[in-house]
Amino acid sequence: MIFARRIKQLIPFVLVFLLTLPACSSAPSKYDQAQSDTTGFNAPAAVDKTAEKGGTFNQFFPESEGEYNVVPSQEKKGFAEYKLKRDGETLAMLSINDTVSLPAAAAKYENATTTVAGFPSVVQGTTATGVLINGRYQVKVLSRDPSFTEADRAVWLEKFDLQGLAGLKANTKVFKGARGNASTKVKQTKPITVPESVPRLVPQPAG
Amino acid sequence: MSTKIYEKVDRLPTRGLTVRALKSLDKFVPGQWDNLVGFDNTIKTVTGETDEAMVQAIGERAIALFNDKSQGYQRALWMYETVDSASGLLGAAAMANRIGQDTFLGFLKTLTPKPEKAQTIDLVVKLVTEVVAFCHINGIPGDSLGDFLSALGDYSSESLMRMAALVSFDGVIPLGADFSSKALTLIKGMRSSDIEKNQTFKGIQKEIPGHDSKGKLAFMTESLESTKGWMDRFVSDKGITQGSLVDNLAGFVEGSKSKLDYLGAFLDVSVKYYEHTGVQTLARRLIERAVAEL
Repeated sequence: MIFARRIKQLIPFVLVFLLTLPACSSAPSKYDQAQSDTTGFNAPAAVDKTAEKGGTFNQFFPESEGEYNVVPSQEKKGFAEYKLKRDGETLAMLSINDTVSLPAAAAKYENATTTVAGFPSVVQGTTATGVLINGRYQVKVLSRDPSFTEADRAVWLEKFDLQGLAGLKANTKVFKGARGNASTKVKQTKPITVPESVPRLVPQPAG
Repeated sequence: MSTKIYEKVDRLPTRGLTVRALKSLDKFVPGQWDNLVGFDNTIKTVTGETDEAMVQAIGERAIALFNDKSQGYQRALWMYETVDSASGLLGAAAMANRIGQDTFLGFLKTLTPKPEKAQTIDLVVKLVTEVVAFCHINGIPGDSLGDFLSALGDYSSESLMRMAALVSFDGVIPLGADFSSKALTLIKGMRSSDIEKNQTFKGIQKEIPGHDSKGKLAFMTESLESTKGWMDRFVSDKGITQGSLVDNLAGFVEGSKSKLDYLGAFLDVSVKYYEHTGVQTLARRLIERAVAEL
């Protein structure tokens, strides 16, 4: 009897709790799916185990020159980034990343119609130009100042040691088929010969 | 439930004591901080990207990077959040101690550290948090003081504002213009037992490099010693003084020059500048990496 009375006393509290619960939860967001896909026990790692160490990429970045300063910004597994600065202002970001963690990043070069120093290049969105080396390493220049144009990005892409990066032997220890179609591209580690005349970068539509 | 980084950024406040306190420092670091809030807004501002599909793709990649625990971003966020909440407890303790000195409740002195000692630990633990969080965000070992020092010269926007707030609210206001020398002398005279009972240290100690409290204290001392020059130059270059800081805060905090330890304690409990600017730094770094990797 006492137990039944206790339960009855609790009912209003339980109802209030249940009614207010939805109010506490957050409004739906366009990022909820991405959150759900990348959390939980079976969520895929954002960075592949076999991705190259970010520090390995440092040697291929351009040096500071004249009024331009190339300043280290980030160095993570599979990724390194520098700022390109002039008079203390950031004009652009310079980056190299290992697309083994994100095969779609490499896939966008399959239909590239332009090249930089002989490597396929694409213009992405409204601020980025990238090249893909050996089907695996992506080199990008991203404008951060309106004065830094697409033509400037092409110029600075050529200042990277792209040939050196092409000579980098990919870390393939655990790579076997780990990331679908990228596995066939990683085998190409021989440097690509540079054509005598470097083709000009033709502007591409955003996308 | 997993932390949603996009919600954290969307929910950053645009008003309140933290925002007002940070804005009061604009005089010393003009134009560096504009309180960037909102996940999409941050993506657009940081990258300059206007293509909506690209913004969505950048956001999704940034979320994936944050959710991958091995990348260190979640640990950095935990540190930024924890050091603020732990130092709030210190603020309450410092307040109690001040009351203890002024009133018959003098016995409180035996329960809480002297304000200057507690403020020193608070300052140094926050400094170490910056060093270690920087290392987590940049994927380098947590004790890489050299890398941190090189990067400090290039600090800008919310990161520079966080350092300005550290120097001002946890250095100059409670300890005076020569706070770094004072803090260094104090910390060099401390033993492991001094830091072990400190709330701010206790909150964050598992992330401080060092095998035991003695090792952690040594790293804290080394961090302060290494950054002292930068902090001293910052204070002198920017013309930061107790008087000017208090004048700037006077509009919304009832403090006076004779009650600076009250003001320091008040800022401790009510201003969460590490968490606020820490979330902004984290979002910026995630977005910068995401847009480059896509």
